[in-house]
Amino acid sequence: METKVKSKALQQFQEATETLVNPELKKWIEQGGKVMALFCSCGPEEIITAAGMVPFRARAAGSTGTELADAHFASIICSFTRHCFNMGLRGDYDFIDGAVWLNTCDHARRIYDNWKRKVDTPFVRIMSLPKKTGEPQVEWYRDEMVILKEALEEHFGVEITDERLWQAIKTHNETRRLLRQLYELRKQDNPPITGAEVLAVVVASTAMPRERFNQMLKELLQDLKEAEGIKDYRARLMITGGILDDPGYIKVIEEQGGLVVTDMLCFGTRIFWNDVDEKAGDPLQALAQYYIADRYSCPRMFQDYPRRAGLVRDMIRDFKVDGIIGERLLFCDLWTVEHYQLAKEFKPEGTPYMQLDREYVLGGIGQLRTRVQAFLETIGR
Amino acid sequence: MATEKDKQKRRLAKFIEERDSYEAMAKAFGQSPSGTDKLYAPLTEAYVGQHNAVIKAVEEGLPFVASYYGCQPEIYVAMDLPWYTFLTPVFTNAMNPNMGDEIDATESLFGKDLCTAFRVAGYWVEKDLAPLPTVVIAMLHPCDASLMAHQLMQTNENWRHVPMFGCDPPYWDDERSLDYYANETKQMISFLEEHTGRKLDMDRLREVIEESNKMYELWMEYNELRRAVPCPHGYGVGLQAFGVALNILVGDPRGTQWFTDLVDDAEQLVREGKGKVENERVRIFWFDVVSLGLSLDLFPWLEQEYGAVNVMDMFGYCPYTLIDTSSEKTMLKGLGKRALCDAPMMRQARGVADNWIGDIRQVVKDYKINCVVWPGHMGHKDGSANVGMMRETCRELGVPFLHIGMDNFDERYTTTAEIKEMFSKFFASMGLA
Ligand code: SF4
Ligand code: SF4
Repeated sequence: METKVKSKALQQFQEATETLVNPELKKWIEQGGKVMALFCSCGPEEIITAAGMVPFRARAAGSTGTELADAHFASIICSFTRHCFNMGLRGDYDFIDGAVWLNTCDHARRIYDNWKRKVDTPFVRIMSLPKKTGEPQVEWYRDEMVILKEALEEHFGVEITDERLWQAIKTHNETRRLLRQLYELRKQDNPPITGAEVLAVVVASTAMPRERFNQMLKELLQDLKEAEGIKDYRARLMITGGILDDPGYIKVIEEQGGLVVTDMLCFGTRIFWNDVDEKAGDPLQALAQYYIADRYSCPRMFQDYPRRAGLVRDMIRDFKVDGIIGERLLFCDLWTVEHYQLAKEFKPEGTPYMQLDREYVLGGIGQLRTRVQAFLETIGR
Repeated sequence: MATEKDKQKRRLAKFIEERDSYEAMAKAFGQSPSGTDKLYAPLTEAYVGQHNAVIKAVEEGLPFVASYYGCQPEIYVAMDLPWYTFLTPVFTNAMNPNMGDEIDATESLFGKDLCTAFRVAGYWVEKDLAPLPTVVIAMLHPCDASLMAHQLMQTNENWRHVPMFGCDPPYWDDERSLDYYANETKQMISFLEEHTGRKLDMDRLREVIEESNKMYELWMEYNELRRAVPCPHGYGVGLQAFGVALNILVGDPRGTQWFTDLVDDAEQLVREGKGKVENERVRIFWFDVVSLGLSLDLFPWLEQEYGAVNVMDMFGYCPYTLIDTSSEKTMLKGLGKRALCDAPMMRQARGVADNWIGDIRQVVKDYKINCVVWPGHMGHKDGSANVGMMRETCRELGVPFLHIGMDNFDERYTTTAEIKEMFSKFFASMGLA
């Protein structure tokens, strides 16, 4: 399944997902621009932008093996973690000027400890991300941001003023608004864009200079106005899960006739479904409120499941979802339980839910096809 | 249709079974009060007592708590609230011959790679096989599995109605973190007061903490004795000490007595120059839980075959800071520090890997360790991501390092025979055989 839309911007977004350093980022670096990798989508990218750098959501695009990382991690560590660290060890991440981790999960938080010992990145930090979403947690995270901001200022000799923070917030909110506009189009009976294509757009949003991305996304939205809608699908699907950044995976699903119309992913709605409050008194307070309390959380946020399930329920209604695929990287404890809970909740309500375990690098395509076909049959399509 | 009473009865069934097996053990130990074995009798009796308190609470409709050892249990004790660790049965069940079937049954819900302890505990929640408490105090650290198991309760049709609170664990150990955690603890106390109808009397809390301070002091003294060559005791004692101090006899004078007896026993052995094995050749640091299932076979084999003694393990290594009881503030802060930075597994696994590696350095030096073992329980993802750092640290220290890769609760993952084989090869290649 592919759209017939002719869009240069879309093509550039797709290219951007294939490698770590996409042409736009390369241009930025060649002009002397700095890049800061963030290893979790709860990392405050606005502060990085306000420091004059490109926040780059860490991935392991193009990785083919984990042979160097395997000496550091036992085999029960998720493959995202292993591939990322492997790329760090190979020098594929030499283009970054720094990296920020959070104590995201038991796997990813340890990339920091290993990286700081083995990879020569000039600036490395880990932030303490709360596991609850209340007021004290917002306050705590604000303080963590102050610590990060001061460290950035000192290390890079920049001044991150409130004004620059507000400007960054505006730019990032614009990305969020534009991405929501893109998702609006997917509510149509015949969406003009596939799920695989949309994933490429979202991934690109985290991998290139933000203002340039916004400009390109506007072009794509313009191009999509003329596009023909997709009619030849069997069912409308939603994808839930963590770090899925490979449009190829969704492509396999869509080739079986399951059009992916929405998601709850780290490279998906969770990062743009709501905005940072531009009217708040203090930019760091606004950011802390957003990252801890307002944005849709992932399962590591305790007692926030009802809100996550609420988002899925709204999506099922608004995007006319016929079935949900819960993707999970093997060994991920957070998503094992979350998928179990979501399936327990939504199956009885009439939305089929299938859990698919996978490795970070796409493989086992035959089996994936078979599972998706069987799932589409369960849905009755 | 089952009445609420029937349901409660069913939920208690496993608990009663477990109490009965402790009772039988207590009797058996009581009859052979010799040497170190005599320490088992009061321990198993205390387990019976803890179980009975919960059973009584269920039967009489009194408030009780389900929680975990890293959640400042001194507070429940001071509030006179019976409590149980909702994971305990998984640990004790490791010796149950039907455990394998139970583990297999969990796969239909959670697959295979989630920590078996939480898989089974979660399964019991889902199948309504565990006593439904008045409140849950959740432990959001040190691992993802723990965090998720508590979230699971909130989507279970029975457990979702049980009020739950969890203190948010910061990633750091500094003053700011401890103040933050003290504030979380304050909220936890208000929560407990609101939902159980009990009030926390600060003077009573002081008493409990002072008693526990005595225990920890004795524990430290005991650990000093374990530095002796040969080591006076073997593999199981650390876990027992942990059970007494953090689980069944928290802040209880009987616990202090237990530690006093433990110190006396070890002291005498050290004075006499007696070790756990006659010819101690290998001093192991077992950097994880000592699995009860393995205790029956592997550790005695290591002792007999190789003179290899488990001198220290993760649960026995508790460099406890004593709590200043001069004010409410110091007590809450001290309890938080104990929960975050001292309690085994929390101490090593919650924060950055430097904590983890630091413990290896310290223990190897203090206990004259000549072999570090990372058993690599399949649930310990954060630790398993430290394997490279552990290996390098051991290399720097000049101590051989063995990584096994096992399941603390399921012997089929890596069988004892396979582990023995690994040890034999390892010892041979390291010149420790
Ligand atoms: S997939 Fe799961 S285990 Fe892996 S980094 Fe993401 S949250 Fe962590
Ligand atoms: S045994 Fe390990 S993985 Fe399992 S619950 Fe404990 S800390 Fe978590």
